[in-house]
Amino acid sequence: MAPTQKIDRDAVLHVAKLSCLSLGEAEADAMARELSRIAEYVEKLGELDLANIPPTLGLSEGTELRPDHVTPGLSHEEALAAAPEATAGAFAVPLFLEIGR
Amino acid sequence: MIETWTVDALAGKVQRGELRAVEVAEATIRRIDARDPELHAFLARSNEGLMEQARAVDDKRAKGVTLGPLAGVPIALKDALCTRGMRTTCSSRILENYVPPYDATVVERLRFADALLPGKTNMDEFAMGSSTEHSAFGPTRNPHDVTRSPGGSSGGSAVAVAGGMTPAALGSDTGGSIRQPAALTGVVGFKPTYGRVSRFGLIAFASSLDQIGPFATDVRGAARVLGAIAGRDPRDATSLGEPVSDYNAACGESVRGLVLGVPEEYFGDGLDPEVEASIRSAIRGLERDGCSVKKVRLPHTGYAVATYYVVATAEASSNLARFDGVRFGLRVQAPSLREMYGRTRDAGFGMEVKRRILLGTFVLSAGYYDAYYLKAQKVRTLIRRDFEAAFKEVDAIVSPTSPTPAFRLGEKTADPLAMYLNDIYTLPASLAGLPSLSVPVAPTKSGLPIGLQITTPLLREDLALRIGAAVEASHAGVNEP
Repeated sequence: MAPTQKIDRDAVLHVAKLSCLSLGEAEADAMARELSRIAEYVEKLGELDLANIPPTLGLSEGTELRPDHVTPGLSHEEALAAAPEATAGAFAVPLFLEIGR
Repeated sequence: MIETWTVDALAGKVQRGELRAVEVAEATIRRIDARDPELHAFLARSNEGLMEQARAVDDKRAKGVTLGPLAGVPIALKDALCTRGMRTTCSSRILENYVPPYDATVVERLRFADALLPGKTNMDEFAMGSSTEHSAFGPTRNPHDVTRSPGGSSGGSAVAVAGGMTPAALGSDTGGSIRQPAALTGVVGFKPTYGRVSRFGLIAFASSLDQIGPFATDVRGAARVLGAIAGRDPRDATSLGEPVSDYNAACGESVRGLVLGVPEEYFGDGLDPEVEASIRSAIRGLERDGCSVKKVRLPHTGYAVATYYVVATAEASSNLARFDGVRFGLRVQAPSLREMYGRTRDAGFGMEVKRRILLGTFVLSAGYYDAYYLKAQKVRTLIRRDFEAAFKEVDAIVSPTSPTPAFRLGEKTADPLAMYLNDIYTLPASLAGLPSLSVPVAPTKSGLPIGLQITTPLLREDLALRIGAAVEASHAGVNEP
């Protein structure tokens, strides 16, 4: 898993699948070239000695959560208003389970 | 005719009853009508809403109610900020027809401060870019030279101010998206400390970096707008509870005795000579005002671009998973759920957004996480430590905001890496979460604006504004477009 590995078309298509993007083959080739160049540039991070350096996971230390009380939010209608498709008071999606199999 | 188009002047006159908010609203409409067909700063406008807000402000005053600190001040909003009942697109096809059911906290706070909200401004799609050319709805043009980019991603907000259409605007800054367009268009732009301003209702790009901040014609205007939007918000768990200082008072304080750090790493290869000359001259001006200047080292600066493009894309790939054609935004119908996701995202996202989602997913994927993402997070620690060490010796760090003046439209779009490298001076403060202000200094011989970047320790917005106001005082009128 050396980071020197170039990102090829197959790698792009694999990552595209993970990110739910349907890329055409020509698009995947162009992306492979561009991403490889960026990945090559990023490899300069390997020049640094990072032993014993803790990662910065985020900048908000001691995040303050609000009290766990119910407060007014969006109404059911407001929440559904922007949905591309809603049925029976719910978000509607294409069938993803085949009933009866 | 309204003479002084600044936040302070307008708010003061409206509060004292010397000017009606309705007159300001009418002037705003005229100004946008005159300039925007050429500049394309605005994606959406609501003249009716604007007039209604203005009448409400005038009614309040007539009834003897004390007006808010932004009374009658028109403020343009980057289209990444949710506005109740008003289309919010993030310059993306995937949100082309999205009408949010709520206001972002900053929008609520501007309304509460009696500001006027004329419309939504253009940006790089999902704030991914440095030129506003990655907007799905066409680029914004720089008022100083319309063949050039205004920078980005908050280019529309910068141009609303630089083009004289509104005296202030809100943008968001993830790696420089307020400061760089401010520098390239000759206005003031301020990224506050990470967490100083609530991000509730800001469409997320990279959550460990995103921060909302103001653009304004002058430093005092930015200070006043920041004062109105800053502070704890229970709806954003990362927002900070520390008291908000008096930013306006800070703008009048002397800079005598302050120690300014000049980082060698920001004056190397790739810095345009005219930019360097202008920045060094502005620093000499601060010395004349009584500051002392000291060389400092920020040795990991050269790793900031690589670090940023790993961390930010990783976070973006996760944040943008919510755009799936189910709850809001575009849907391209397909027989199966999986295909519906793919076709919707394929049709809805532009190339730069896809590039970053793919890169972000790649650096998080099995086998690459340690080599890229974890490594970048460790280098981020080194970049933060650079600043911590420097701030033991100096009060603030001064540098160019951008290595070059505004580049031509189309000049960098073919090469994503060249575009990324343009952010070299703004990324480190973002990675460290520090407040960072860009103020205009003397322009190039051909009249292109240049910005001085002032970076201060966490929560020292007051200090950045104080130095910025001093710089401004010695550069009055240098950037009239």
